[in-house]
Amino acid sequence: MSGGLPKRILKETERLMADSPPGISAAPKDDNLRHFDVTVAGPESSPYEGGVFKLELFLPEEYPMNPPKVRFLTKIYHPNIDKLGRICLDILKDKWSPALQIRTVLLSIQALLGAPNPDDPLANDVAQHWKEDQNGAIEQAREWTRQYAN
Amino acid sequence: MDMSSHPLLASLDEPPPFPPSYPQLRRLDRSVVCQICKEPFQAPVSIQCGHSFCSACIRSSLDAMKKCPSCNEPASEGHIRRNRALEEITDSWEESRPVIHGLAHPPTSKKRPAPEPSSKPASSTGVKRMKQSPRAEGSSSRSQSPTKSRKSDIVESDIPIDLDEDENDEVLELTENDEAPCPLCQASLPISSIPMHIEKGCPPPKGKTNGMRKGNQKADWKKVFSGQGTSSKAKEVEMKRITKPNYSLATPADLRGLLSEYSLSTTGDKSALVARVQEWIILFNSNLDTSHPSSLSALRAKMSDVEASKKRDKEKGKDEMINQMASTSGLRKYAKESGGEFERLKREIIERDKRRKEEEEGKGSGRDNAIEVE
Repeated sequence: MSGGLPKRILKETERLMADSPPGISAAPKDDNLRHFDVTVAGPESSPYEGGVFKLELFLPEEYPMNPPKVRFLTKIYHPNIDKLGRICLDILKDKWSPALQIRTVLLSIQALLGAPNPDDPLANDVAQHWKEDQNGAIEQAREWTRQYAN
Repeated sequence: MDMSSHPLLASLDEPPPFPPSYPQLRRLDRSVVCQICKEPFQAPVSIQCGHSFCSACIRSSLDAMKKCPSCNEPASEGHIRRNRALEEITDSWEESRPVIHGLAHPPTSKKRPAPEPSSKPASSTGVKRMKQSPRAEGSSSRSQSPTKSRKSDIVESDIPIDLDEDENDEVLELTENDEAPCPLCQASLPISSIPMHIEKGCPPPKGKTNGMRKGNQKADWKKVFSGQGTSSKAKEVEMKRITKPNYSLATPADLRGLLSEYSLSTTGDKSALVARVQEWIILFNSNLDTSHPSSLSALRAKMSDVEASKKRDKEKGKDEMINQMASTSGLRKYAKESGGEFERLKREIIERDKRRKEEEEGKGSGRDNAIEVE
């Protein structure tokens, strides 16, 4: 049903914990089921492979009518993620649909790590680097992953 | 990982799922679930693209965005139509699910407690118990006799109930001679004359004036709420959909008037009033899309639950915490404070990954793709 009744949130959380997607863990805070600590492993054969990234996810009062708020807490070199960890991903903005859920959001973020899109940048300098010198940018992303995401 | 230990999840009471060896039953289970609330349909309705949702779910969703949550096709509230067949399917599946679950499930394998009807004391009721009296597991709101367990009894006892409800329900349908508020000026008019009335530019209706009609309505509602007259069921038949006010033009007094008509709280500033009216219209209008509507007092109770939970969220200062996250130093502080939890999650990923790889090597299959986007 509508509104602030968190039945759906409870259900989602239970399924998420019981059957996490590969490379993703999420757990709600003890005192607040709308607030999750999340870790996402960098996808294989991406510059983020081997890294484990920390994120925080918050379900606003209007969830699922409004998208969850997700941010990277671990520093990451990615054209669609800025210095504050904000993520440029359509389903977190205008392409959100209440049929989506926490699981699909986290999978999409993992996919974004595997497929950076410098043509729709959030971190302009990183995107510029990516376009002009892709190999250099990828190397930089690897370096940051080693340095911060371990 | 065992989540049942989490303090906030302890209250979650889910019917046990079907085992993976019955994919067709799992599919059936999924097919009666609303894609928005992920619960079995309540008052299901369809929209133009053919997708169906709970009435309240799609109404709130369309308040937020004018598109179908499943396929992104443009959609609007005018497209909402009751889906009676789906309601019947959902109800009958919910009703027969415990029986079928009992047949499909070896009684010893699961120990999750099944949901219990409110009339029964909350004791530990396992699957075994459920198998013995499947009727006790029936879907929520209907009056049922929990002692009957033979199939023939189920059929006999339920048919009259359903017919009753359908009969009441028929009265809800408007005919051409019924009056409804004009979507533009809110004047009450016979439905058949509304198109002409709009074309003429909404002149005030002859004979009955808008004000008089409103006065009558108010008196009617007073009667309803003071408990006069016949049974509450008969009164609910009088209920008609509430037309959404134009929130940017409506004055706080208009909103308070609407709220007091339904005996709802009229406190708070305009945004609080608008939020309350919106919530109420969703609850009230979706309640008209079902064969087993809730009473007005149950709707009001639901409203105050929603408001109370929103208030709790606000008091906890969650918004402030989110704002704190918007700064680099706030993020660092947070990451530090939650360090232990992140370490645990990290270990969990690594261990799970290891286990998965070991399992795969055992099977001799190739590497799994880490990303499986739907």
